[in-house]
Amino acid sequence: MALGAARSTGGVEVRVRDLTWRPFGRSRPVLDGLDLTLGPGERVLLAGPSGSGKSTLLRAVAGLLLTADSGDLSGAVTVGGHAPQDVPGSVGLVLQDPGAGVVASSIGRDVAFGLENVSMPPGEMPPRVEAALREVGLTMSADSSPATLSGGESQRLALAGALAMEPSVLLLDEPTAMLDAATAGDVRAVVSDVVARRGLTLVVVEHRLEGWLDHVDRLVVLDAAGSVVADGEPRRVLREHGRSLADQGIWVPGVPDPDPLPLVLDRAPEGAAGRVPAGGVVAAASGVRVEHVSRRLGGSSRTTVAVDGADLEARAGRTVALVGPSGAGKSSLMGALGGLVQPSRGTVDVAPPLTPAESGATSDAAARTRLAPPHAWSSSDLARVVAWVPQRAATALLGRTVREDVLTTPLALGQDPEVSGVRADALLGSLGLAHLADADPRQLSGGEQRRLAMASAVAHGPALVLADEPTVGQDRLTWAAVSGVLAAARAEGAAVVVTTHDPGVVDDADHVVRLDAPPQPAPDPEPERRPLVARAGPLSLLAAALCVLPLPALLDTWRQGLAVLIVEVLLGLVGLLAPGPGRAPHARLRGVLARLAPAAVAVVGVAWSAWLLGGRDVEVAAGAALRVLCLLVPSAVVVGFIDPEGLGDHLAQRLRLPARPVVAATAALQRLQSFDALWGELMTTRRVRGVRADRGPVARGREAVVVTGGLLVGALGQASALALAMDARGFAEARRRTWAGPAPWRRPDTLALGAGILVIAAAATARLLLP
Amino acid sequence: MSKTITASGPLTRWRTIDLLTCAFLGVAFGVAYWAWGLVYSVPSNAVSAVFPPLGALFNWPWLVAGVVGMLIIRRPGAAVFTELLAAVVSALIGTQWGLTTLVSGLVQGLGVEIGFAVFGYAVYRWAPLLLGGFLGGAFEAVYEWYSYWTDWGWDYKIAYLFLLGASVAVFGSLVAVGLTRLLAAAGALNPFPPGQEVREQRAV
Repeated sequence: MALGAARSTGGVEVRVRDLTWRPFGRSRPVLDGLDLTLGPGERVLLAGPSGSGKSTLLRAVAGLLLTADSGDLSGAVTVGGHAPQDVPGSVGLVLQDPGAGVVASSIGRDVAFGLENVSMPPGEMPPRVEAALREVGLTMSADSSPATLSGGESQRLALAGALAMEPSVLLLDEPTAMLDAATAGDVRAVVSDVVARRGLTLVVVEHRLEGWLDHVDRLVVLDAAGSVVADGEPRRVLREHGRSLADQGIWVPGVPDPDPLPLVLDRAPEGAAGRVPAGGVVAAASGVRVEHVSRRLGGSSRTTVAVDGADLEARAGRTVALVGPSGAGKSSLMGALGGLVQPSRGTVDVAPPLTPAESGATSDAAARTRLAPPHAWSSSDLARVVAWVPQRAATALLGRTVREDVLTTPLALGQDPEVSGVRADALLGSLGLAHLADADPRQLSGGEQRRLAMASAVAHGPALVLADEPTVGQDRLTWAAVSGVLAAARAEGAAVVVTTHDPGVVDDADHVVRLDAPPQPAPDPEPERRPLVARAGPLSLLAAALCVLPLPALLDTWRQGLAVLIVEVLLGLVGLLAPGPGRAPHARLRGVLARLAPAAVAVVGVAWSAWLLGGRDVEVAAGAALRVLCLLVPSAVVVGFIDPEGLGDHLAQRLRLPARPVVAATAALQRLQSFDALWGELMTTRRVRGVRADRGPVARGREAVVVTGGLLVGALGQASALALAMDARGFAEARRRTWAGPAPWRRPDTLALGAGILVIAAAATARLLLP
Repeated sequence: MSKTITASGPLTRWRTIDLLTCAFLGVAFGVAYWAWGLVYSVPSNAVSAVFPPLGALFNWPWLVAGVVGMLIIRRPGAAVFTELLAAVVSALIGTQWGLTTLVSGLVQGLGVEIGFAVFGYAVYRWAPLLLGGFLGGAFEAVYEWYSYWTDWGWDYKIAYLFLLGASVAVFGSLVAVGLTRLLAAAGALNPFPPGQEVREQRAV
């Protein structure tokens, strides 16, 4: 389909007629007979309390309601007279979570995704991609990885991906909710600029209305039942409905910030952490350096310095706000202070009355004799002292019910169930969660999960409370609840540390510590030489490695196996040579050997059973072992050099495998990194909540299963967000599509395949010539 | 469960979310497979020292991905796609079997797939689970006869095939059903038939 066949320039009219949507499992519809007409080029801000169906309406306008959910849908939506998905790309959608819609490993390729879906010839893509990136102010190279972008840059990348398809309607679902104020302002300015230049019809959903008022013509307010209760000129609507909107949790300009929820914690149960007198140091980090190692497929890893030479002190009964730009290492410094991550340099000291050695809570003799740093403490020792609320509250949930979740840590620490039950119920009551006490925490809304995570963190009376961006993206009601819990913990004598961009939270803090991004080691200016195997494409490498498949049928004796193995090793060594100018590549051989180490186990297993069966004959065992080694050596050489995205390009373009499954698979492979991070976060949560299995294979096995379940839930959540973003860019109908990345077959590819065939030939020859 | 809800939309037509869910499951299982590959050899080699085909009892986890994919998506090809991708991912991270893992993934997925295809992709209860699990294990066993257990006699080979097929049919199915229920209860399967079954049961 030609792009823009049915496209007028600029915005078009959006008509929603009698739209009703009831997701399966809900007794009441989320939207009930909704009617709304947006004029061409009209800029609309959509507001309403949580659960009023704002996001649902955006998905309906994009034609994506059935993409990631199922239910009863009736009524009609037209965009410029067409059903929204009939003209792919006519409606652009940007979601709340920066990076949720990233499909490719470079930003240029990511922007081209929609163009591929509408079968644009690859030659026409680069100018469109460059123009879109320029329009949103992303000036870095188009080869940059989306993973290196900040939150604001990620949102601008999502916008560029939508703009490249020349939409006539732009839908933004809380685009700045996760961003700090300055970055949010930048994103709004870019949006406003683009919308004005192109004359697009714009619909923005946002909890904080202030920044958008100057950029929109109309404010539409939905109520909790999903009906339009106010609609008109923004300032006029706010004059009439501002107060009631604020009461429902919307951030309305001119209405002062809510007060923290007044909250008095019940007495902390016996067995809570000891107390340091108010103002005394609870924990101090000095000269701390934290490094992050990000592994990539193929074994190469990159080390970045998250924070370097930083100091942080947490004092009892005081709140420290940790501020600074995103990427400054706020979370890492806080994690180091609380023993969640191990600093590679510097020291972390916890006040003596709190350490496991002093409280006598540990049986570990070594810990009693010296003051171990908190990252080395056992799960229950750490949980007694430290509480941590991660930025994604959903990963912090451990209980089957809301009440069980709050009681997880108190019970793990052996606190009195009755006393901690009273404290837990009081907490739930004041946070408005009492009626949900027996509900499954995973079914709660985002705001409810955030409040629950706060309650669960402080239930056992910790001495140090760490909260990572606790108010980001929250409405007024949850904001007040979160600040209330932090204030109550402080009043109880705990030291509170928050990383935040929120001026309201900063104002409330006793100290403010500012961090700036640490300098990164400069990349080596001289490029590395590439080994010969790296010059071949992924498909030829895969084919070469799979050339071993006939070997078991060809090799009978250990002499034949040894001959073939020698051929393979020689070919592999040649492949690892890296002639030419430049720096010598790093640890080529070591990488291959590291990949062969686990193979040794497989080889031993096979050799053992062959020896056992073959009349305990060493020659038989050696033959079996060599045969298996011959199967594995070529893979060990090439696997580190296979680029998953390139493999996808080759499989689809050269082997003509179905396009959509190949794209889905490569998009999922891009997220492998995030699974690593999620796994770490789930384990850290368990550790700091006192339920981490520290020893015993059975307990560890059970824990691995539970955490894998959590990982799968997270993975499926990512899949549904990505499905939405991909369908918004025309992927649903992209059975035949073009490819922005080439899939060339060059001389190194032929040589690599030739090497594979040479191995088969060697085996055939060995079988003929050797006994 | 009185009635089985089959696929959402036309059976052979894959929605984007079907593809992505299979893909993400495949990647997540690929990581899990790689991790299992690091630890499984200890118990596996231990029992193999007594009676080599007993090693099969520790190989069934490698077939769970395909079964889970099929139980969730309920579309033709779901088992092959999920299992193959899990194999690709574990091979790219680096398992001991290298890229030949792809062949294992393919034959395992095919076996499971056939079990459900026999029932016309309309039944997602014990019969296709048992059949698919057994076939998946059996196919893998045949591939391993050829590539690894070339020196075994037929008695061992047959014993291995039945042990692997049966352990996948029983343990693999149990774990897959358990995981699917867990995910459905967590609300992660709302767009899919198992999630819809859970939700319609709870609807008031």
